[in-house]
Amino acid sequence: MKRHLKWSLLLILILLLSGCAGKRELNDLALVMAVGIDKGEEENAFKVTAQIARPADARGQTGAPSGQTGEPILTIVGQGESLFDAIRDLSSFTTRNVFWAHNQVIVINEDLAKEGIAQVIDFFTRNPELRMRTWVVITPEKASTLVSTVTGLEVIPGEAVNKLFRYGEISNVAPNSQIMDVQAAYLSQSSQPIIARVSLKEVMVSNKKPEKGPTIKQVDLAGAGVFQEDRLVGVLKPEETRALMLFTERLKSGVVTTPCKSKPERTVSVELRDQMFQVTPHIKGSEISFTAEYDAFAMVVEAGCPFSIDDQEQVTKLEQAVEKKLKKEIDTTINKVQKEYKTDVFELGKVFHNEYPGYWKQIADDWEEVFPTVDIKVSVNVEVKDSVLLWEETNSGKKENSAN
Amino acid sequence: MKVQISNGMFMALIINMIYAKAIGVTQGSMAREVGGDIWISTLIATIQGGVIMFLVILVIRRMPEGDLIDQAARLLGKWFGKFVALITFIFFLASYGPVMSTFVFHLKDYFLPEAPILLFIMAAFLLGTYAIYFGVEVIARMALIGVFSIIALNILLMLGSLSEFDIRELRPTFQMGFLRTVWASRHHNTDWAMATIMAGIILPMVADKKSWGKMGFAGIGYGMVFIIMWPILEAGVLSPETAAQYIVSCMQMARSAQIGYFIHRYEMIMIAFFALSILTQIMMSLLCASVAMQKMLGLKDYRKVIIPTAMILSAFGYWINFDKNRAIDFLEGWWVYISLGVAVGLPFLILVMGFLFKKKLKKENVAEEAN
Repeated sequence: MKRHLKWSLLLILILLLSGCAGKRELNDLALVMAVGIDKGEEENAFKVTAQIARPADARGQTGAPSGQTGEPILTIVGQGESLFDAIRDLSSFTTRNVFWAHNQVIVINEDLAKEGIAQVIDFFTRNPELRMRTWVVITPEKASTLVSTVTGLEVIPGEAVNKLFRYGEISNVAPNSQIMDVQAAYLSQSSQPIIARVSLKEVMVSNKKPEKGPTIKQVDLAGAGVFQEDRLVGVLKPEETRALMLFTERLKSGVVTTPCKSKPERTVSVELRDQMFQVTPHIKGSEISFTAEYDAFAMVVEAGCPFSIDDQEQVTKLEQAVEKKLKKEIDTTINKVQKEYKTDVFELGKVFHNEYPGYWKQIADDWEEVFPTVDIKVSVNVEVKDSVLLWEETNSGKKENSAN
Repeated sequence: MKVQISNGMFMALIINMIYAKAIGVTQGSMAREVGGDIWISTLIATIQGGVIMFLVILVIRRMPEGDLIDQAARLLGKWFGKFVALITFIFFLASYGPVMSTFVFHLKDYFLPEAPILLFIMAAFLLGTYAIYFGVEVIARMALIGVFSIIALNILLMLGSLSEFDIRELRPTFQMGFLRTVWASRHHNTDWAMATIMAGIILPMVADKKSWGKMGFAGIGYGMVFIIMWPILEAGVLSPETAAQYIVSCMQMARSAQIGYFIHRYEMIMIAFFALSILTQIMMSLLCASVAMQKMLGLKDYRKVIIPTAMILSAFGYWINFDKNRAIDFLEGWWVYISLGVAVGLPFLILVMGFLFKKKLKKENVAEEAN
């Protein structure tokens, strides 16, 4: 009897604890690598474009091994009254189970973003299959076109956009907007979401017709979308986005190019390092203001005119020129966001709340109206400390050809 | 020979008994009340937990060979003992609801959304009954390994999320006021309640009686160290609003962590490393409920009541967790009152009775020693 009992128990344990419940075989899955969301054809409807990898064709770096289709991705479109509905629609014509865990990017069309993305945030943060580090971008193009555009060296477009963000840190032209950041900003009482903006740009030269120049469209990081709650209220150009990112991210580097003093048609470029940006709130009576101090070290990475770090006067002039340019960039962005878009994507509300929690309680509900009126003073301090490998200026040895 | 566990095992049991629920489900409940101050509520609850643990150790020390139930029986007779056993049984029956919520919500919601709840209830039933059949020593040995997996999980999570940490989310402190922050600590107190009542049942099995207090407090101290990281990271990385939005905020935290390009989505890592803690909670709840049932029925061995006790607890766990709204309502409402009522009331009652019937207790202790 005991033996029977033991065997029965063992069998039940095998059935229950084998880990087979809810299993999904790899070859039964359609791995979504990127998803695009556009407005549907009907009112309030969604159009979801899923870019699915064909594993057999996506092998290696160039794809298309012999005997396969040569197409590393399959792009399909589903429509529905809700995102879930549209995604369910996808499963009516995919031969495999649509699997979202490998999704790299969520592309939202700007027309849809202007109407609100609360539903998108809710769906992608509620679903357990999705990663919270998935990139979220907006685009003026159709999201369906963007997700199916093969970009760069990657054969999977979703992977390409992922790497654009991962390795594009030095360009500082779009914020690193992941779904977890967008969710946190949307749920926050004081801050507003910002989302990276991408567009299609003819930057790739065809190997077959190189004489025509860049004719092939590629995905390009193109600034940021500024949101008021869940609605897109404006966009910032790439050069304006860098100033915005000073407020929201810790930037590793940046490049500033200024005209040479001696030859204004030529330029000097400096790379900014160890950038520090400190925002301090102040309150005087009921007047709220902020001071933003920017400090950085710079190194001269390119000089179109003779430049030596040994020449202190030249260095000071260069520092002043860089500071002036940076201050102008920051002021322009502040002005645009504060006066035109009137939405606190700088996280100033959070900074003020941290410093003056008591006063914040009084103004928290009106912060939307207070933010455009606050005074923000910016000071920039850049010190040129390095000229990379060169000590002497780059100058022609022949007097008559000298850059001087 | 009477089963005994080492003091280190006792400490490991305390740590595991609180960890699984405290790092996520509890933090979500507290975040809904006090936002970024969850770490302060966690600290406050730990201090309160320490006081209750001290109370339990004080009570058991008076009669080291008997647990809370035995001592109650010794003080006021068999029926009072049975009454305390009933209260203890109800406590662990109620605890099984939140314990199964933690187990089910982690596994079902994040891994197996299609799997029926019954599957998880049955798995817990089988593993739990199998383990407690072999006794507390087996569970305690497992808990020792559990401590190492807790350390591993904490280190991995810290590495995967510190880059996203924003200290501003934790400031300013006491945003909702001091009293509300203290009041929110009741959710974490329920976790400590489970550990302290468990200690009230298993302390007589702990070998070195002299260092009970030291190890009890060491368990609380280490427990706090392992847990406090979570509310700080949940608020600083996810933001307090996001932590409040989720039922299991630690899994959301795990879902957001990544190291480099290839190690991301910690859900699997999280489940692997926190499994021993949640299994300890399941097993100890079943064990303590079985011991209470045995003493209620006046049996000599708890093994005879393992199956019926586990069936009652499992049925309750299933009923509670079948409806998520009911599960959270119970977890944040009834369970708080039941757990704190019993965890504070029971040791205190026995302590007071002990003072009132000091002579009787002493006399019976002497008589027993003479026998």
